[in-house]
Amino acid sequence: MKPSSPIAGVGQPSAARLAHPPESIAVEAEGLSKTFHSLNGPIRAVDSLDLSIPAGQVFGLLGPNGAGKTTTIKLLLGLVTPDEGRVRLNGYDVARARGQAMRQVGAVLEGSRNVYWTLSAWQNLIYFGRLKGMSTASIRPRAEYLLRALGLWERRHETVGGYSRGMQQKVAVAAALVADPSIVLFDEPTLGLDVEAARTVKDWIARLAQEHGKTVLLTTHQLDVAEELCHRIAIIRQGKIVADLPVSDLLARFRPQDMYQITIRGRAVGLELPPGFQARAEDSSTVIVGRVEDPLHLYKLIDGLRDGGLPLLSVSQVQPDLEEVILDLFKGAAHDD
Amino acid sequence: MTDPARAAEATWSSFGLEASAWRATPGVVLSVLANEIRKGLLILWAHPAPIVLAVVTMTFFYLGVQFIIGQGRMPSDLLPPTLVAFSAYIFLHIASLAMVADLVEEMRTGTLGQTHLSPVSPSLLVLGRLGTASLQGVLVAALATVVPLGAVSITIPARGEALVPFALTLANGLAFTLLFAGIALAEPFIGEIHHLFVGVIGTLNGMYLPVALFPDQLESVARLLPTTLGIEATLKVLFEGRSLGDLWIDGSLPWLLAYTIGLTALGWLVFARNQRKAMRDGTLV
Repeated sequence: MKPSSPIAGVGQPSAARLAHPPESIAVEAEGLSKTFHSLNGPIRAVDSLDLSIPAGQVFGLLGPNGAGKTTTIKLLLGLVTPDEGRVRLNGYDVARARGQAMRQVGAVLEGSRNVYWTLSAWQNLIYFGRLKGMSTASIRPRAEYLLRALGLWERRHETVGGYSRGMQQKVAVAAALVADPSIVLFDEPTLGLDVEAARTVKDWIARLAQEHGKTVLLTTHQLDVAEELCHRIAIIRQGKIVADLPVSDLLARFRPQDMYQITIRGRAVGLELPPGFQARAEDSSTVIVGRVEDPLHLYKLIDGLRDGGLPLLSVSQVQPDLEEVILDLFKGAAHDD
Repeated sequence: MTDPARAAEATWSSFGLEASAWRATPGVVLSVLANEIRKGLLILWAHPAPIVLAVVTMTFFYLGVQFIIGQGRMPSDLLPPTLVAFSAYIFLHIASLAMVADLVEEMRTGTLGQTHLSPVSPSLLVLGRLGTASLQGVLVAALATVVPLGAVSITIPARGEALVPFALTLANGLAFTLLFAGIALAEPFIGEIHHLFVGVIGTLNGMYLPVALFPDQLESVARLLPTTLGIEATLKVLFEGRSLGDLWIDGSLPWLLAYTIGLTALGWLVFARNQRKAMRDGTLV
């Protein structure tokens, strides 16, 4: 029952493993705006937000605290009424066809218990399944499968309040999935979990899309989670989407193709470096990093190191991580403001 | 026990059919309603201590006040009518407290948001919550009434006709519960407000002294409060031998009916309005 690796295949969703036609849009938001009014004045939480998530895709919504991620999730679920705009889930308008729209979706919300702590895991799954309009007979096998797969079966009759934080989150995941929704929204799903529980939840999210064709929207500010799980990432800042790209495109777009790192053995004292290069000493080696606008300059530098008797350990192109990309984006957005 | 592999097959293969064929049929609606009541009772059953404590304290408080009013003895003439008012008060108190406390707790913990992800209307879930609250109220009111009946030998005539005004009295209590549930969605000081109103109702609905013994102005104020009109009508049937026809002619029953409908409509309007407001303000979850 161990979930398959979440890594393989993630990056670009293959049409073959999707349970939906590639062109079908699972989550669609148009011109979504929401302003909250507080004593300190109006707060524009979401600003003219457009989203279009194809069925079967794992979509990450990233941003710092207060960027509008959770409000966006609540707007998509119809838990908060937008000032403007509309949301469709599998084509059903959340405002006009609420019943059908809610049948399409399950959610694990952040900062929320999500399930009843005074009830057992089993009672919770039966309750939430019936809440979605399912019969008890059809819930039982699903509930059993989910509880077994999440390692909760043996303790299914214990009240959730007595579980660890990780187990409680697993029950929340099971409750969101018990009615077999085609769209699942996770708001900070691994926040506050220990390594093992976070791994289980991440594996499940990957598995939902890969094996079961579910559409997953997750918000997080844990970049490793997004980079590992998502096909596509949107960066939200002050309620606005500042970037919306496949993960690979997002990284490539900000990849400094001409940044190189050269490592040599020993301390290179008084080494003459081309303009734009910097050297730093590390234990028994020296690391030189810089931009190489012309590849000939790189060869020239390496030749210089060889001529100086400095043993070359490695030459590598610098790979950006998502955090650097997002920081770049925020810097750019702040500059635009 | 189900084979996990087959369970998995059943779990993931049926999507699409169920989702597209789903309709809010009367069967589904009833099932969801029953589900909501069942959940409430399971939670109640998990924590019975507050209910037991409520029964004990309220019963002792009622008997203690009657002992003081009787200047050191139980006033046998006052006990039967005040016990009827006491049972109605207990119902209103417990039902409204259970509903308001559950709602506030669910808003705080976020489970209310999860219940709003149901395809059935949130209004239907409110009916389910009212069902649970009324069952709790009936349970506590019955226990709190039976104890004094046995402890101090109070006799209340058994007249079936009295069930009609008494049922409307309980409906008053449920309408009050709905109204305060609505207020709870928007008002952070709902605990204090509820405590105040329930205290006023307990003082003036006739559970200590029959309303007829109040000064005229206070009697008029008391009749504006939930349960008072219903208790008066019930007492007329039980202790004055009046029929429902008599109550209709003297205006007691029409007033009670109009009051109940009016309070229910007000409760529903406030709940619906504040639910929309909470969703607009983002305070529902």
